[in-house]
Amino acid sequence: MTKRTGVFVCHCGNNIAATVDVVRVAEELGREEGVVYSKDYVYMCSDPGQSTMAKAIKENKLDGVVVSCCSPTLHEKTFRDVTEEGGGLNSFRCEIANIREQCAWVHSDKPKATEKALKITKAAVKRVQHNQSLTPIGVPVTRKVLVIGGGIAGIQASLDLANAGFEVILVEKNPTVGGHMIQLSETFPTLDCSQCILSPKMVEISKHKNIKLLTQAEVKEISGFVGNFKAKIHQKAVYVDPETCKICDDCAKVCPTVVSNEYDVGLTSRRAIFIPFAQAIPATYTLDESACLGLNPVVCGKCAEVCEAGAINYDMRPKVITEEIGAIIVATGFDLYGKENLGEYGMGRYADVLDGLQFERLCSASGPTGGHVLRPSDHKEPKNVVFIQCAGSRDPETHCAYCSKICCMYTAKHATLYKHHVPDGQAYVFYIDIRSGGKGYEEFVQRSMERDEVMYLRGRVSKVYEKSGKMIVLGVDTISGKNVEIEADMVVLALAMQPSQGTADAAKTLKIGRDKDGFLAEAHPKLRPVESVTGGIFLAGAAQAPKDIPETVCQASAAASKVIQLLSKDELMHSPTVAKVRLSHCTGCEMCVQACPYGAIDLGAPSNKARVNDVLCEGCGTCQAVCLRAAIDVKNVAQVQIHDMINACLGV
Amino acid sequence: MIDVAQLKAHAKGLLEKGTVRTVFGYRKSTAGLLAEPAGITEAAQADDLIFDPSCVQNLALYLVNDKKHQAEKRSDDKRPVAVVAKGCDSRAITVLLQENHFSRESVHVIGVSCEGTGVVDARKLARKLGNKKALAVAFDGADAFAVTTNEGTQSIAAAEVMAERCLECRSAHPTLSDVVFGEAKAERGLHTPFQAVKAKIKESEEDRWAYWSRQFDRCLRCYACRSVCPMCYCDECVVDSISFVIAPDTTAEEKANRIKWIERSPAKSESAMYHMVRAIHLAGRCIDCAECERVCPVNIPLRLLNTRLEMEAFETFQYNPGSDPELPTLTSSFRDTDPNSFIR
Amino acid sequence: MAKVEQTAKDETGFEPKIVAFLCKWCSSAGSDLAGVSRLQYPSNAVPITIMCSGSMSPMFVLSAFNKGADGVLVSGCHPGDCHYLKGNFYARRKIYLVQKLLQFIGLENDRFRMSWVSAAEGAKFAQVMHDFVTDIKKIGPQTRLKAKRP
Ligand SMILES: Cc1cc2nc3c(=O)[nH]c(=O)nc-3n(C[C@H](O)[C@H](O)[C@H](O)COP(=O)(O)OP(=O)(O)OC[C@H]3O[C@@H](n4cnc5c(N)ncnc54)[C@H](O)[C@@H]3O)c2cc1C
Ligand code: SF4
Ligand code: SF4
Ligand code: SF4
Ligand code: SF4
Ligand code: FES
Repeated sequence: MTKRTGVFVCHCGNNIAATVDVVRVAEELGREEGVVYSKDYVYMCSDPGQSTMAKAIKENKLDGVVVSCCSPTLHEKTFRDVTEEGGGLNSFRCEIANIREQCAWVHSDKPKATEKALKITKAAVKRVQHNQSLTPIGVPVTRKVLVIGGGIAGIQASLDLANAGFEVILVEKNPTVGGHMIQLSETFPTLDCSQCILSPKMVEISKHKNIKLLTQAEVKEISGFVGNFKAKIHQKAVYVDPETCKICDDCAKVCPTVVSNEYDVGLTSRRAIFIPFAQAIPATYTLDESACLGLNPVVCGKCAEVCEAGAINYDMRPKVITEEIGAIIVATGFDLYGKENLGEYGMGRYADVLDGLQFERLCSASGPTGGHVLRPSDHKEPKNVVFIQCAGSRDPETHCAYCSKICCMYTAKHATLYKHHVPDGQAYVFYIDIRSGGKGYEEFVQRSMERDEVMYLRGRVSKVYEKSGKMIVLGVDTISGKNVEIEADMVVLALAMQPSQGTADAAKTLKIGRDKDGFLAEAHPKLRPVESVTGGIFLAGAAQAPKDIPETVCQASAAASKVIQLLSKDELMHSPTVAKVRLSHCTGCEMCVQACPYGAIDLGAPSNKARVNDVLCEGCGTCQAVCLRAAIDVKNVAQVQIHDMINACLGV
Repeated sequence: MIDVAQLKAHAKGLLEKGTVRTVFGYRKSTAGLLAEPAGITEAAQADDLIFDPSCVQNLALYLVNDKKHQAEKRSDDKRPVAVVAKGCDSRAITVLLQENHFSRESVHVIGVSCEGTGVVDARKLARKLGNKKALAVAFDGADAFAVTTNEGTQSIAAAEVMAERCLECRSAHPTLSDVVFGEAKAERGLHTPFQAVKAKIKESEEDRWAYWSRQFDRCLRCYACRSVCPMCYCDECVVDSISFVIAPDTTAEEKANRIKWIERSPAKSESAMYHMVRAIHLAGRCIDCAECERVCPVNIPLRLLNTRLEMEAFETFQYNPGSDPELPTLTSSFRDTDPNSFIR
Repeated sequence: MAKVEQTAKDETGFEPKIVAFLCKWCSSAGSDLAGVSRLQYPSNAVPITIMCSGSMSPMFVLSAFNKGADGVLVSGCHPGDCHYLKGNFYARRKIYLVQKLLQFIGLENDRFRMSWVSAAEGAKFAQVMHDFVTDIKKIGPQTRLKAKRP
């Protein structure tokens, strides 16, 4: 406990002095135990006020200071700076007693307000007398970033960071970067070709000197904390040396195994040795272990035999790569809602019921049909196509409760593209509402209705079934109130977007939260939308919520700029008012460990007692209130301080 | 009904093989009706072990004390200790495991099921017997006790002389054990849990205060209740400055930060504070062994006080203390659906 | 709202002593807003700003009553809004238990209260204060848990 406290009572002109007898407050505080200096002053925050304070601290060798004035949100920093810079006393030895907002301004009875101001100030004196000198904790940072997920979100964030001069490790679990966007044919609302705008960025990724791309890789372990993470990354054996591969396709021609092609969402097939698509990055063939007959020349070995470049090596083994990084961006994207859940729409039962991504492939010039919309079952041009929106979305009873946000737009795009491909065809859209907020979006939907004569039917489809070789879509048009039956050649479902499996995996590895729908949880829904709760881990793209490309890119760039901000200094500064364990009292019961919102406590040496990670601790005091044994306290808001303040408030 | 011979044989086996350091169990008391806790270290002593309705003590306490003694002695015998545990005792052990007080490997739990009955309440029994003095009590079938007095042996319906906590017991079968004697009995047909607390809640605020005011006033602050509680294992109790530990490495700062939350005098207000702090500290941890109430020299109804929050834990938060050592504790966890309407 | 102070006065002249524990980020900020908006409320409660309602130890409540508080208020951010994400959820559970215990031993129900006041709810803060003081005035001084001091 300190013995030379100084008290400065501010009049705030008449703001405080009109209702609080500031002279009396200063006088009475002067008689408090341990107080050696107590004065009132008309404007403490003015230059003369500040210099009076600085001088008094020095002259009276004060070891604690209370400024009785306005809310600490206004001038705590001012007075702490004066204490340290002017008075030569550690800034944490200064506390504010708020007698303006919490007293003078809300009461009018002067004696009563003065009583209260006295108590508030006395309590602050009690508090400051237990304060310790503290210095902000400096944490060195590793100026390297891990980006997880190589969709457009991960690509954009990586490029932004790399261009700002940071080293980036981009980890993608598939054989190529590009994510879902590379599967799209054209993009709303401008209908520019998705590959044309994405491929150059993918190439840039592969060429950038600051980017290390690890495909077919996944992060398996993360330790450490903001500025100082360590990642363990597992990379699958690829069996083809990307440097040597000439992309000649000789190997695939001889490969005897045929499996479904993920890139075309199962509409085509590929070999066990393959390149996902011509523009894949890294530009190399890769061997799919699970499809290969045995990775063994005795069993097959055909591909290695024909590879003139000698790029194929069956002896490659998975690698474990460890990287030290300062920040992490999670951009693990989405998956479409499981088709198996939507039996009512005939998905999986009828070959001509497709999901949106399959339809994108059908429209794409690089797709299975060379850009002609043809039905998978008989390769005929469909003349009646029914698009069903909200398939799996906005259905809290059976499917996802949320709106997938982009389906209205891409359905309008699909209907438009369909009409471009099949001008004499008819497109029908079943919808609940049209949500077309966004620049040029509403106009785009209107155009599809008017120019492309897409028939919009408001209502839900109850089922898709087959009648004498025809697919029938049965629904209600809630506007006319009539049941509608459409004979469809093709049905396209706008399936809900859900967080990808990779998102769930990453969240688990990184120990970051997910919301009720499984999307990554942001630190604050409005003010910190690209940060996770854990310091140094940021979010981007559809892994955080359903969103379209422009929004994804915004968020990716925002996350990148957050990282740049974080890593722009050599040291991070962290508030020193963190929890501290009294080892003699801690029994290692783990209650604080369980309760800490930041995972800042663990049990460790010596003898399995609580141990606070100063960098992770935010000083909230949750631990303090759950510990039965008063074995943990937050510095400068210790329980002994609250105890003494309670006494002061009650005048005992 | 438990075959005590098997229990003895098991304990004997453990000690003969030397797999455990000590077996904590019960033996016949040299004075009075209630069994006495015994820590036996030799196989031959296993024959002294008993299990009957007089075995009221919560032996989990002996594990806590044993840990302290071992530390004081700086013993390097790392063998586990065995302990005889009724349903309530096993719940206490589970809470201690949950709080990492010792590891699962360091204790060998010899579970004993109370089956359809429980242990005796000596005060109830004395009242029942009038001027006869009970010398021994044994299980007698599924729902009675055979009570031996100087006038012979008589059978008494267990429910008439059983401890209140046993009447309200929610798990008379051990929740955790390495070996268990006796059967689990699903339908005991005794009292519904928290009956006594619920009756007290129905009283008026004035009556409740009159009642507790009287109780707090009578407390001697002898701390027997705390000493017998296996959950009050803190070296230093936050509400008792007498227990403040000063070790060679206690710093001046630590001394200055000791908080004297209450005065040492047994004034009503201070005793009230002590009992409320203890009740709060036991929320979600009290496993209702009722030992505090039994040992209180002035009969303060501590079980009634402490089960108030246990009822809340169980009914409001679906939290059952001593049911699972892996669970986070009651107050270091929450649910979104916790009550909110009491907040303005 | 402006004349709240007048209406809270009663004939006996009893002025309750109240300790109000306010979390720094919402309730304390809400009280600042009440100040900036010049909303008048009775001066009986002395605020103690704590980092988060989650740091509210039950000891603080019990101690305040022991030291003679006529009322104790704990106020934090609304569920989901805690600056530290989860602190107020822990607080809610703990404070609920403390309240049940105080009720059980027969302390007058109205003496212990919890509220959610956000940084934007200056008016709510003033109202909470006013209501609390009014209710406590009705029941008079707290004698049940108060220590007798020399
Ligand atoms: C049918 C359809 C049509 C669309 N049309 C348009 C349109 O016209 N215009 C528009 O703006 N938007 C459109 N979108 C939306 C657009 O696809 C998304 O906004 C965008 O793809 C989101 O990018 P992302 O990087 O966040 O996620 P994704 O594209 O899903 O990329 C995530 C990447 O992360 C990888 N990954 C996942 N988990 C891990 C892990 N644990 N470790 C390593 N890597 C991992 C994945 O393999 C993938 O490469 C459409 C969407 C659909 C479904
Ligand atoms: S809650 Fe207290 S006793 Fe338990 S581990 Fe944390 S600091 Fe130690
Ligand atoms: S003060 Fe808060 S953040 Fe720090 S260790 Fe305690 S609970 Fe965790
Ligand atoms: S309640 Fe009984 S046992 Fe506990 S301290 Fe008081 S008198 Fe002693
Ligand atoms: S009352 Fe609380 S602090 Fe005291 S011994 Fe029991 S658990 Fe520990
Ligand atoms: S910061 Fe306000 S309740 Fe946690």
